[in-house]
Amino acid sequence: MNFGRIFHNLNYAVSALLFLIGLYTVAVKPNLIKKLIGLNIMETSVFLFIVSVGMVDEGVAPIVTGGYKAAEAVGRVVNPIPQALILTGIVVAVSTTAVALSLCLKIYERYGILNATEILGREEP
Amino acid sequence: MWRRKACFPWACIGVATTCFLVWSLLGKVSAGKAVTYNLSGWRPPWGIQIRIDYVGLLMACLITGVGLMLLIYSWRYIEHELKEERIPYYYTLYLLIFTAMLGFTVTGDLFNFFVFMEIFSITSYALVAITGERMALRAAFKYLLMGAISSLTVLLAIAFLYSVTGSLNMLDISTRLKSTTYLPVAGVALVLFIAGFAVKSALFPVHVWLPDAHSIAPSPISALLSALVIKMGVLGIFRILFTVYGHSFSGLSSNWNSISGVIAWAAALSIILGSVMAIIQRDLKVMIAYSSVSQIGYILLGITLVSTRGMAGGLYNILAHAMGKACFFLVAGAFIYKHGLRRIEDLRGIGRTMPVTAGAFALAALSIVGLPPSAGFVAKWYTLWGCFQKGQYAFVVIVLLGSLLSAVYCFRVVYYMFFTGARKSGVGLDEAPVTMFAPAAVLAAGTLFFGIFAGLLMPSLNNATRVLLMK
Repeated sequence: MNFGRIFHNLNYAVSALLFLIGLYTVAVKPNLIKKLIGLNIMETSVFLFIVSVGMVDEGVAPIVTGGYKAAEAVGRVVNPIPQALILTGIVVAVSTTAVALSLCLKIYERYGILNATEILGREEP
Repeated sequence: MWRRKACFPWACIGVATTCFLVWSLLGKVSAGKAVTYNLSGWRPPWGIQIRIDYVGLLMACLITGVGLMLLIYSWRYIEHELKEERIPYYYTLYLLIFTAMLGFTVTGDLFNFFVFMEIFSITSYALVAITGERMALRAAFKYLLMGAISSLTVLLAIAFLYSVTGSLNMLDISTRLKSTTYLPVAGVALVLFIAGFAVKSALFPVHVWLPDAHSIAPSPISALLSALVIKMGVLGIFRILFTVYGHSFSGLSSNWNSISGVIAWAAALSIILGSVMAIIQRDLKVMIAYSSVSQIGYILLGITLVSTRGMAGGLYNILAHAMGKACFFLVAGAFIYKHGLRRIEDLRGIGRTMPVTAGAFALAALSIVGLPPSAGFVAKWYTLWGCFQKGQYAFVVIVLLGSLLSAVYCFRVVYYMFFTGARKSGVGLDEAPVTMFAPAAVLAAGTLFFGIFAGLLMPSLNNATRVLLMK
């Protein structure tokens, strides 16, 4: 394993690790709230990946203040498009979490427990 | 204007207007040219472009047409099924999911694609759970987990593609991919896309959310999900394979060691396993849900065969299956509305008291099985032609075997409905309300119409697929 390469691209490696941790949590943990936390960890990892794509070494925020021309801004300013993408992605993730939590609330009202193996194993449709 | 009773008329006006507007584009789009519109005047790749090409218009007309029928059906059914205070939420969610599917179909920008996909996914999780009964909540939660993970996979794939090409416009990405040096990254992105959309379209290994979700939802929502929402998954696969990656990207062949070959084999397994699971079911709606799994296998098999006829067959099958499956679920809902019946054995003799509804089911069953002169027959014929064109004789056997298995479960229901049950004297017609059997009848007549008059659509469809595969 070339550690130099991993440290150079630490953002991407950590994003992949977080994605797998989130996927493990969703798949293995029986508690519904823990599954949702795992889902949120996965979403965070994808946002980390997207923002890292747009990062520029020693770049500044993409706000045009003091007379930058478009051509000279390319190497100095961080790419704003990934930031717009993840803002939209965060809104989507919040909506998904809101729907999921309201479903958890209703499931708790109806079933009394939040254990997925028990809930999914109970009645046959 | 804000009264609860005004929900349905307002929703109808909206959907009917959209239907009219979309259908009025029918003459303007053909194989080579598409209707485009740049949002706020920014040209791509700097701005978001709405691009209605042939397949997009086909899907948009289908969504608006079937959506209008399902809305008309929902009026009576939702009054009967949902609590009073949830009815406005139902219509709101219905309009949202309708809009999101239309947006998904017409967009030309990859991130817009993702956002609309999320909108219809999240509203469909809510719509499955809207009745609030125990089974519905658990089915919705399972659907939510699988759907959310698949959406994240698609977002990750979009991120990979953006990092390689630097653009988010679909056509622009396909141009830049031809000259890229980062092929492995693009390959990983392709796999992630296919994995995400395979869950959305309920392909064989990841179809497990579908039977619970589609059978427990209220019947117009089951019809909406089965007929339209899973087709959005199929459209996603189509767009990724053919618009974004393009035919010139290596890997588009039918061998099992290419991505479209893998999808084709998973689709073939879907066909057989979906039909077998449908045969052993005792509940009508669960049977129809497994039938959806099987039919999606047919559609994806046709599309990923990468032959002109096969792809035309797959796309025509989308049309045929949407109408047929929506009719199935509407009829099942009519039985539940009138008598509260869900099991197939309880349907004995119902063809005598509800002849129009049961007749619509029988007509749609012709299309699902693939008997002439229905639209399903035309679609499966073209799919078989595509299999022969590519020399994949194993798929020929699987398609025919699947039709045989479909006949088993479809005609079993028809047998129970019409040919059993004691003839009681004095029991007259006890039909469902008109706004409920009329959409089912229109959809069933639609499958017959598009089967007999397949010449309305097939030449332009063949032309479109030939142009698509030639580039």
